[in-house]
Amino acid sequence: MIYTCYGLTFVSDLALPELLAAAASAARSEPDVQIRLGQVPTEGLTDGRQRGPFLWVSPRALWLRVPRIARFLVSDGNLITIAPEPGVDEDSIRVFLLGSALGALLFQRGLLVLHGNAIRIGEQCMVCVGASGAGKSTLAAGFLRRGYEILGDDVIAVDADCRALPGFPRIKLWQDTAQRLHIDTAQLRRIRPALAKFNYPLASPVIGVPLPIRWVYILGSHPLPDTRCEPIHGLERFTPLRNNTYRVRFLEGMALKREHLQLCGKLAGRIHLTRITRPERGFELDALVDRILADLAAHP
Amino acid sequence: MVGIYWLASYPKSGNTWLRAFLRNLQEDGEAPVDINELRTGNIASARGWLDQVLGFDTAELTPEEVERLRPAVYRWSLQDEGAAIGYHKIHDAYTLTADGEPLVSREATLGALYLIRNPLDVAPSAANHWHCTVEEAIARMGNPRMALAKSRRALPSQVQQCLGTWSEHVRSWVEAPGLRVKIIRFEDMLGAPRPTFTAAAAFLGLPQDAARIDKAIRFSAFGELARQEAQRGFHERPQHTERFFRRGRSGDWRTQLTAGQVERIIDDHAEVMRRFGYLDA
Repeated sequence: MIYTCYGLTFVSDLALPELLAAAASAARSEPDVQIRLGQVPTEGLTDGRQRGPFLWVSPRALWLRVPRIARFLVSDGNLITIAPEPGVDEDSIRVFLLGSALGALLFQRGLLVLHGNAIRIGEQCMVCVGASGAGKSTLAAGFLRRGYEILGDDVIAVDADCRALPGFPRIKLWQDTAQRLHIDTAQLRRIRPALAKFNYPLASPVIGVPLPIRWVYILGSHPLPDTRCEPIHGLERFTPLRNNTYRVRFLEGMALKREHLQLCGKLAGRIHLTRITRPERGFELDALVDRILADLAAHP
Repeated sequence: MVGIYWLASYPKSGNTWLRAFLRNLQEDGEAPVDINELRTGNIASARGWLDQVLGFDTAELTPEEVERLRPAVYRWSLQDEGAAIGYHKIHDAYTLTADGEPLVSREATLGALYLIRNPLDVAPSAANHWHCTVEEAIARMGNPRMALAKSRRALPSQVQQCLGTWSEHVRSWVEAPGLRVKIIRFEDMLGAPRPTFTAAAAFLGLPQDAARIDKAIRFSAFGELARQEAQRGFHERPQHTERFFRRGRSGDWRTQLTAGQVERIIDDHAEVMRRFGYLDA
């Protein structure tokens, strides 16, 4: 099957229903990326360094093992080889393929990868980053409900011109989030059979062209009842942006680390960066969306 | 030497107080350390720590899968760049994973400082912290399936932590085979601070000279922690409670619990209470 996302064509041994099928014409040209089922070394990379108990990185390759699910070898920005563990379901493989493995591949192609989601605002976009559990996907769903287009969720690829590339048309929603948005999960596919987290396909196909990133919000929470918006200025912007790179550890030992940091600096220099901190209890989604929309309008 | 010292306790047993002491002892500064900067190391269940070391999201895993991976994450701290001795808070009971190895990893663990507090005082404090009735807190302390961050329908910032009952929690740590463990009673931190904190520092391989210990005790005294919280707030305080540092006393149960509640706690935990001097006869 041939698919498209992040402006790339993928040919894959594994069916990837989350992605958009590529136009028939794409079949005639060489794909940008191949996803194959095949052999992956069992104990890391001979020419790389171990960066975690299940992670090896070399200048041109990244090896990742998700125990009891699969081993992934991502090489040269154009090939992902997957060795599934016996008996594993395809949904489980896809979750980590479309997360960590795809993130590593985008890094290898020289793109800056942010951990968050991108939302179209006119002819530009805003990106929301933040720690796991901060509420990024809930916020994306909130914007979606207001009629905004989502360029991508979870893995955001940024090109050398500081534009976010359109990802694939889905967001991942926990049961609780779906419920508060009145989304009936009975019709949705679980991202993995054992998780109460659902694949929510976006009805309208995401916009097909990259959009310049104008705003980045770092979403967090605190035990106070108010929502705080704190702009980050000047050189202060670099570190928080780098810290919200997708899996900073992947960069260590990669050939393109310097380029990534440069691109991160370039992006830091041209965005309006704001830390937005919500109450940890009583997540007022609509109020948060309004707050961000007002802030966007105040900093065009 | 590298590895992890666990600062282990059931919730509301003085863990934050101990961490404030340790930070002040390490810092040895002219003024008390900011309670919002108690960076003694991540809590064992911090999702961010696990995700970063694993290289994939624990958000996409079941609690059982996460549990099996946790020992490898702690073990990694032995060979990670800049590896050093770490002091990490933990509320999980000492348990074995499905693979039969200790959750905290035998290889990574240098030892555990186990903080214990009279369960009669834990109950009202926990009720306030968990925003539930005292009855409910007592029920949770007696529930073998008690766990923190248990949601399977949303994403808490910590991964699930199994506590077991209060008694099981205590016994899991103090009886863990092969574990170097030092037990510190909350009541002794209050009643005999100098020898108690000195013993804690000695166990953890930290400085023990009297002047430095005394200053760290002073800078982490309940009054100081409460003063800072009143002034600037405390980010570890649950949103629905008024204060994190509430009373910092022992024996308050006499005015806060009914006779029936006391009886219930003693029924549930008599053996362990007796063992640690919380029950006469």
